[in-house]
Amino acid sequence: MEERWYRSASGARIALRRRQHSASCRELAVRCPRLRLRSLSATTSAAWLAAYGLFVLTENSMVLSAAIIITLVGLIVYLHFVKIDQESLLVIGSLGIQVTSSYASGKESTTFIEMSQVKDVVINEAIHMQKVIYYLCILLQDPGDPQGLSEVVPLFQSSKPRLDCLIEVYKSCQEILEQRKTVPQSS
Amino acid sequence: ENSPSPLPERAIYGFALFLGSWFGFMLYLIWAYVPETWLFSLGLTYWPQKYWAVALPVYLLVAIGIGYILLFGINMMSTAPLNSTDTVTDNYAKKQQQKKFQEEAIPALRDIPISEVNRMFFLPEK
Repeated sequence: MEERWYRSASGARIALRRRQHSASCRELAVRCPRLRLRSLSATTSAAWLAAYGLFVLTENSMVLSAAIIITLVGLIVYLHFVKIDQESLLVIGSLGIQVTSSYASGKESTTFIEMSQVKDVVINEAIHMQKVIYYLCILLQDPGDPQGLSEVVPLFQSSKPRLDCLIEVYKSCQEILEQRKTVPQSS
Repeated sequence: ENSPSPLPERAIYGFALFLGSWFGFMLYLIWAYVPETWLFSLGLTYWPQKYWAVALPVYLLVAIGIGYILLFGINMMSTAPLNSTDTVTDNYAKKQQQKKFQEEAIPALRDIPISEVNRMFFLPEK
């Protein structure tokens, strides 16, 4: 079990945790920075000050209650649907790859990709919002054409690690994927 | 053939355009500034409303300003999303033919698949 600190594409500190469960099974987890108290209180104060300003202008007290409800509901929606706490990748050599995202509210969403569908795990670079970023992605095999590629599944979308972290994850994945070629698959 | 050098015909076209644009500008100024009653007394009663002398330039400038933002937006919309195969390959790369490898010759130009590129960059050869 090993944990190292890196930076994300936007400059925030992220932690990469590597666990080797067995010779052909590895788990790589990237932990994003937690929600900071100062940014939360700054947003809430700004929203409530704006609502108070509106109340002073319109003399309607519904504005204040609406602001409180919107802030609470917005915070809950943000924590449950938007703020990702940890993204992890579990690579099991003969079985497949499992991608898990855990949100700040505790919700976890997982996707499992069978090993026969996985063509390769690569670091791709693409244009994203006026920047060129490196991101890790799983290339899925096209069932008709052995050289073809049917889909690209990007990984670590919200933590967006930089190239140094991605190279570590890439090397770990490739060590397991290489075993596919030497060990014949039993269908 | 097509060369950008000056020619007598081009000089004539240029001068005709110059005169035409000055004439158009003078006409626009007359339309915008000469009072309606003077134009009526000359017999020109069916010219467009003077409102358009101000409205059309404003329309044009606002359209140019929106055009900047629109072009930016169209660029952003046409960028392939991160999960599309267009970031990795395209029709030309899929249909390319492999040339035979010749000894001591520079290898032919081709689109190298991304797996190979990654292995070369990120996996150090021992």
